[in-house]
Amino acid sequence: MNQQEQITRVRVQYTKGHSLRFTGHLDLQRLWERLLRRSGLPVRYSQGYHPRARLNLASALPLGFVSDKELLDFWMNEPRSVDEIQARLADSAPPGLLIKAVDLVPLQEDSLQSQMHASCFKVSFYQAQDRDALIQKINDLLMQDKLIRTRRKKTYDLRPLILDLAATPQPGEDIQISMKLLAEPGATGRPDEVLDALGFDVSDYLVRRTELILVKS
Amino acid sequence: MTVNQRNTLQREIERILPTVVKPGRYVGGELNQVVKPWDSVKTHIALVFPDIYDLGQSNLGLAILYDILNQRSDVAAERSFAPWVDMEAALREAGIPLFSLESQRPLSEFEILGVSLPYETLYTNFLNILDLAGIPLFNDDRSDNQPLILAGGQAVYNPEPVASFVDAFVIGEGEEAIQDVVDVHQAWQTSGRSRQDLLIRLARIPGIYVPSLYAVDYHPDGTINNVTTTHPAAQLPVDKRIMAELPPPLTRFLVPNIEIVQERVSVEIMRGCTRGCRFCHAGMVNRPIRERPVKQVLEALQEGLNQTGYEEVSLLSLSSSDYSHIIPLIEGLQCLLTERQVNITLPSLRIESFSEELMDVLQDLSPGGGFTLAPEAGSERLRDSINKPLSDAEFMDTVRSIFEHGWKSIKLYFMIGHPQETFEDVRAIAELCRAALQEGRRFIGGRAKIHAGISTFIPKPHTPFQWSTFDETQVIEEKLSLLRDALRGAKVKMTWNDPQASLLEAWLSRGDRRMSAVIHQAWKNGARFDAWGDQFQIEPWQRAFQQVGLDPEFYSHRERDLNETLPWDHINAGVKKALLQRDYQWSQMGKVRPDCRQQCYSCGILNTFSELRLAKPTGGWKCP
Repeated sequence: MNQQEQITRVRVQYTKGHSLRFTGHLDLQRLWERLLRRSGLPVRYSQGYHPRARLNLASALPLGFVSDKELLDFWMNEPRSVDEIQARLADSAPPGLLIKAVDLVPLQEDSLQSQMHASCFKVSFYQAQDRDALIQKINDLLMQDKLIRTRRKKTYDLRPLILDLAATPQPGEDIQISMKLLAEPGATGRPDEVLDALGFDVSDYLVRRTELILVKS
Repeated sequence: MTVNQRNTLQREIERILPTVVKPGRYVGGELNQVVKPWDSVKTHIALVFPDIYDLGQSNLGLAILYDILNQRSDVAAERSFAPWVDMEAALREAGIPLFSLESQRPLSEFEILGVSLPYETLYTNFLNILDLAGIPLFNDDRSDNQPLILAGGQAVYNPEPVASFVDAFVIGEGEEAIQDVVDVHQAWQTSGRSRQDLLIRLARIPGIYVPSLYAVDYHPDGTINNVTTTHPAAQLPVDKRIMAELPPPLTRFLVPNIEIVQERVSVEIMRGCTRGCRFCHAGMVNRPIRERPVKQVLEALQEGLNQTGYEEVSLLSLSSSDYSHIIPLIEGLQCLLTERQVNITLPSLRIESFSEELMDVLQDLSPGGGFTLAPEAGSERLRDSINKPLSDAEFMDTVRSIFEHGWKSIKLYFMIGHPQETFEDVRAIAELCRAALQEGRRFIGGRAKIHAGISTFIPKPHTPFQWSTFDETQVIEEKLSLLRDALRGAKVKMTWNDPQASLLEAWLSRGDRRMSAVIHQAWKNGARFDAWGDQFQIEPWQRAFQQVGLDPEFYSHRERDLNETLPWDHINAGVKKALLQRDYQWSQMGKVRPDCRQQCYSCGILNTFSELRLAKPTGGWKCP
């Protein structure tokens, strides 16, 4: 077998817990590079003076959010069983990062970023919200045709990025908001923008990503 | 977990985090962090580094103590750092006490706070941390159930400026002393006796200094008449604590989830230095020299890399090229380098102990990197006076060899303001830099770079220059401007320290007990983060001296009489005052004292620690 045939692409599904809430996208990449070094897996590196592990993170999670489901691809020079990969990654992972699933994916598949379609989020509040008032706010927002907003000096319409938005009463708990936002290249909705449009401040809530939806699925 | 499942303090902390800069500093949760169930241990120790996480987390001393303490099943050691100014404001506004990273418990719930004080400009942050934790700042205001405030680190070889705040100091190396402190604390806890009883028990431990058990009497002119003990348990002098043999190095490093300074596996290859540079505090207080075996260092690096996944290793010592087995060590490292693709940093190389062979092996390690040398003074005469002898010709040979071996830039460290320094000596710094650049150009043309890093000499306790005066601020400014002029157009990059920041260090490093009032007042005047160029201000300090009625010049700009009782004389760092006195006199005569690996000058280390050395013949001591 030549070397090309041995190259393996691995997709990892993992969580980002409380202690990793404030680990930004670049720091998360470094964290994964170190995790892979510790794992002892035959990870594929770039060439040159400062070789770096080849990694591909599906979708940047805004700072301060936690997540039940994040996706990443990495490549290996030799094949290994899914069980072995999962065990080695789990052994090398820091607190808050649980390896939920490992799959081998075809080399020719598009990059994860370009396969992204949407993200689902759940929002909980530090102070109990009035159920009816919240539902009213959400309905008012959804009634609008356009939600013109400015972020980093760019003006855009948030409304078409909102695929779903609803208040979800939790049995025995305070009310939460769930939302599904478009996450395509160049058209990604941010939950904090939606929450800001609803009149909430960053210190009012905690956002959890619950699902990443790829185009083909 | 939703927000509701976390406890109230955690929720309060969580809410303010999104509003501050770099909140990842305050959450902990790193790989290799140790969290124990709170009620499963007898003693909770918060290890406090009074600067931000980004700096403090890479401090090796703190990491070592964290590891040692958490190996005990009866102890939980957690960490806490200074909150940055925005976080301090947010904590105060929300009424949240300063907490530990691991359990997010208020610091006041710990039995012991172990505060690391490696340099003096942390003192106001230290007070700020106590205040944010709701712990009384002055040691005599604390009650039986409040935490014991323990401090250690290189700065506390003169503990007096912070003697009013700290309950007990660890003088010297902390690895064993901290264990003794915990044992004594646990025995005291069971006894149910008073806080005073704990302090007395602690005072009996070798290397522990309990300032409240000593009285200082002053002459009318402000100098010290004498220091006496007020309880028989107090030692006089307090001999520093040292390890007869360095323990196996730390390998279980925490791996931060955000970017911090120096993310790498650091291994100390030796402790102490035999060179005897007269300005150098570290070189005097860390004697004797003890080396670790090559095999132990290499194994620790390997294991450290396995544990962390880091891309870089660093070998620490005060003078790496003096390590007896430097060539085999670097050759061993090369194998590691090729296997693992890691970078290696090797600070503190001395010019005169450099061989061609060392240059050859180093060349393979740092492709294209810079090289750092520290001549410290510009002229041969002044280098003799500070006991860092090196001829201009030797210096140029080394510079030539560095460029010949393919390096393109050299950073040269110099100090201005040495005792005996003239403007001629300062001019010589510029001449040396220009000559080095010219040499570089001969080999690699315009790509050769020289960077001159200029710091200001500060007289430090326990050194031969402890009697010396600090240079006048105006003279320092003149010297800096002379250098800038002399290097103008020479394409030598020059950086320098803020003379006012050096002045603060000069006040604090040789302070006596009365200085506690100044530090307290400066903190009240708003001084924080004095080690940060963008935060430090001299004005709150100047005002503080006025408010408490002390003359700052008494501490900075006064040549001490050789027979004066110095505020730290009751702390024995191992080197005898008589030897320091002789060295000070020799410096004025330009007389050098060669490296003591060849010949013992009986500095005092062997007198104090001969039994310890005999007990551990394998300790790797390099005393003859």
